[in-house]
Amino acid sequence: MPDRKQNLPQLYRFCFLMLGDSRKAQEVFHTTLREAALRAAHGELLNEPFWLFREARWRCLEESKTDLEAEPLEMKEHEITPEASMQIEQFEPTQLAVWISAAPEPQRTALALFYLNEFDYREILDLAELKLSELSRLLASGRRQFQAWLNTMVPQVPKV
Amino acid sequence: MKTQRLSRRQRTLLNCAPIDEEPIRDRSMRSAVFRARGSNEFANQQSFDRAMAALVDAIPIPAESAEWFSAKDFVSASKWTWRKMARNPAVLAVGIAVLVIAGVLIFYFVSRLNDFPGSATARKLLTLASSTRSVLLDPINADAGTLGDLFFMKHGLEHYEVPPEFADFRTIGCRVFEDEESRRIAQIWLAEKRMQLFLFPAERNAKTGAVLRFPGWRYIQQEGWTGAVTEHNGVCFMAALRGRENDLAPYLAEKQ
Repeated sequence: MPDRKQNLPQLYRFCFLMLGDSRKAQEVFHTTLREAALRAAHGELLNEPFWLFREARWRCLEESKTDLEAEPLEMKEHEITPEASMQIEQFEPTQLAVWISAAPEPQRTALALFYLNEFDYREILDLAELKLSELSRLLASGRRQFQAWLNTMVPQVPKV
Repeated sequence: MKTQRLSRRQRTLLNCAPIDEEPIRDRSMRSAVFRARGSNEFANQQSFDRAMAALVDAIPIPAESAEWFSAKDFVSASKWTWRKMARNPAVLAVGIAVLVIAGVLIFYFVSRLNDFPGSATARKLLTLASSTRSVLLDPINADAGTLGDLFFMKHGLEHYEVPPEFADFRTIGCRVFEDEESRRIAQIWLAEKRMQLFLFPAERNAKTGAVLRFPGWRYIQQEGWTGAVTEHNGVCFMAALRGRENDLAPYLAEKQ
């Protein structure tokens, strides 16, 4: 099992979920690792355990500052259905990344970190600088919003 | 399936419940997940989350990015420190146990440091001295130095002589008795500071039968009593009183 503190494939996926664009994700991923390598070359090994993810997050936020922002609108929310997993299976990872990257901050960070399945909730609270109630609310509404989107994009399998 | 009622905090925690079914370290989260198990709502959430995580896991890694994966560590392992080590409960428990054992060993070593041939008997006699009452002894008012003759004439005890340091003190009583090893012991009670004197056979080599001698006076302590022991002609003499070594020392110094 790779070291959770520097699971590099997950770091790339995090960047991809945050930005929804492979090219930008690679750019942030490489810049973050170059910075880490530079520090390591100077003998400054990073003591902060989630430095890579924290650094990558800030770079992603900086990167998306220049993007055009969608007007805030009320997202539909649907209760999660038992068929949701089958609906999700019909999706491509890129579609999920695009959806998450379009979420407002800090929901975007919360969803990206949570679905990486790399950190426990306390670590996510630390990384995303959130309170437990905030994280809970963001994840719950994120699920319901994604379910609503799923219902629009993928017709529900009729119950027998 | 019927689920147990959840508190507000538990509902908050459940929204952040781990996706995998790995053992949960966090106690409050573990409790919340345990209570929610069996609810359809939570089962749907878990199945939703697992499908989402599987989709994230399927995100392909570009070849240029994958080149970085063999790079050396960027993040240092957490530093080993004495403080961290000391906070480990296992280390703490072992440390305390070692300290206790070391303390017992040191106490045993120190208490045996002043041992000499006959010290075991002397300790037993100190315990006896602490529990003896003067009425148990035959009353006799004489100089302690004269009792050697009495012990020889009446009890056949040779060399049971009181040393010159204590010979001039007046006695209240005396007796001769046998201990559990059938050794004959003479006990004298002095008027001076209610001091007690004991005469008993010196320890001998088990093989050769030779007396195990030791020079001068040796002090021992037992249950608040102090004894000064010397050996002469195969007989040990002990002067005992309730108190410390300092209380006995002047009597020994006087004649030196």
